[in-house]
Amino acid sequence: MSSRIPCRTEAIVLKTLDYGESDLIVTFYTREYGKIRGIAKGARRSKKRFVNALEPFSCSAINFSRKNPDHLDFIEGCDVAFHFQEIRSDLEKTLIASYFLDLIDQFTPEHKKSEASFQLLYDFLVLLEKKKTSASLLHLFELRLLRIAGYDPVLDGCISCRQPLNAGRGYRFDSVRGGVICSGCKPSDADAIPVSLGTVKTLLMGKEMEIENLGRLLFTAQAAEESRRILSHFIRHILGHELKSLRVLNEINRLQR
Amino acid sequence: MSGYAIPIKNLIAEFSKFPGIGEKTAARLANHVLRSSGEEVRVFTESLLDVKRKIRFCSVCFNLAEGERCDVCADSRRDQSTICVVEDPDSLIAIEASGEYRGVYHVLHGVISPLDGIGPDRLKIAELLERVARQPVQEVILATNPDTSGESTALLISRLLRERNVKVSRIAFGVPMGGDLRYTDKMTLARSLEFRRTA
Repeated sequence: MSSRIPCRTEAIVLKTLDYGESDLIVTFYTREYGKIRGIAKGARRSKKRFVNALEPFSCSAINFSRKNPDHLDFIEGCDVAFHFQEIRSDLEKTLIASYFLDLIDQFTPEHKKSEASFQLLYDFLVLLEKKKTSASLLHLFELRLLRIAGYDPVLDGCISCRQPLNAGRGYRFDSVRGGVICSGCKPSDADAIPVSLGTVKTLLMGKEMEIENLGRLLFTAQAAEESRRILSHFIRHILGHELKSLRVLNEINRLQR
Repeated sequence: MSGYAIPIKNLIAEFSKFPGIGEKTAARLANHVLRSSGEEVRVFTESLLDVKRKIRFCSVCFNLAEGERCDVCADSRRDQSTICVVEDPDSLIAIEASGEYRGVYHVLHGVISPLDGIGPDRLKIAELLERVARQPVQEVILATNPDTSGESTALLISRLLRERNVKVSRIAFGVPMGGDLRYTDKMTLARSLEFRRTA
């Protein structure tokens, strides 16, 4: 009798790795089991079980069997629900979706269920599929994931003196302490980045807004640039390195200018 | 691997570095070498060294070549004004095997893969743009694989060539010859309708 337990869940493909002659090791983010890694036997040759199902950001109902979490799961099959074809046929959207996957992969441990993380990734992929690409979508995903992962940046007042936001003061973002700091307080981060009050308020608004209204929130060029700088700096500080997908995204943006 | 003499262990360890080769297969290959004649092993090692000594990138298309230019670029009967862009030399071999294509190639040596940190700087994209600017090219055919990375690479190249006076085309996607619509996945079917042509 097999000691493997059969499981079925909704899953989004984060990444794949070629293994042996024809197998793939696939990392999924699932609704029921969090991040899992499994082997899809013969997936690179199979014309039936896995065709088009194991591409990054494909969303499927997957069947897998598990011996225990220390072993690779065994992927039995996938029923694709969404391919996100609009994302795949647009370079900017593909790059942003890849960044979403990279962030989820970096901020989530294996085998820890987080329905909020799954829903966030799913909702933002759907938004990206339907809406025009914008800086706001990218930065609001970063902000919301930081909150779920326990790194919610303090934006509603100075992280040091606790005074609420005040138009008469200047602000910087202190990545070491994880929030904005006013001009009257000394930051712990030597590289604290100046940020305007308008940008902070835009991010605050976007953090709380209902997902279906996010498309209406427009960032000014200044807010987009400041958000890019403070959030990428903060994420790099938390992870200790720059994300590969962000480096490629910036490289391609430079090339097209 | 315990029980093997050190030279055999070393050989198994070297074979294990090959892609797709596990320790058991490596041990089988090492045993095959042991059973081979001295002459067979000499020919094998010579061919390994030959590959490293003689093979380099074609100066025009970056295909693997024995000399300055690969066989395709050196063939005066090939249409030099049509360039087919492929991911790697294996894709070039596959298209050549079809016997249908009479133009030349450009080998990118990879595709854009953001999650692996592979961007355009790691590919031969700048060299393609330079080639299109330098020689009279009428058409560039983008023949990267129809997966996420291949599509992204094709989209980027197509955008970078937009300003140039050159036709840019993408290979068609759809139902394979001998295929059955009932068993074709919905994404392939959708693409086959999108890329349909006048009958």
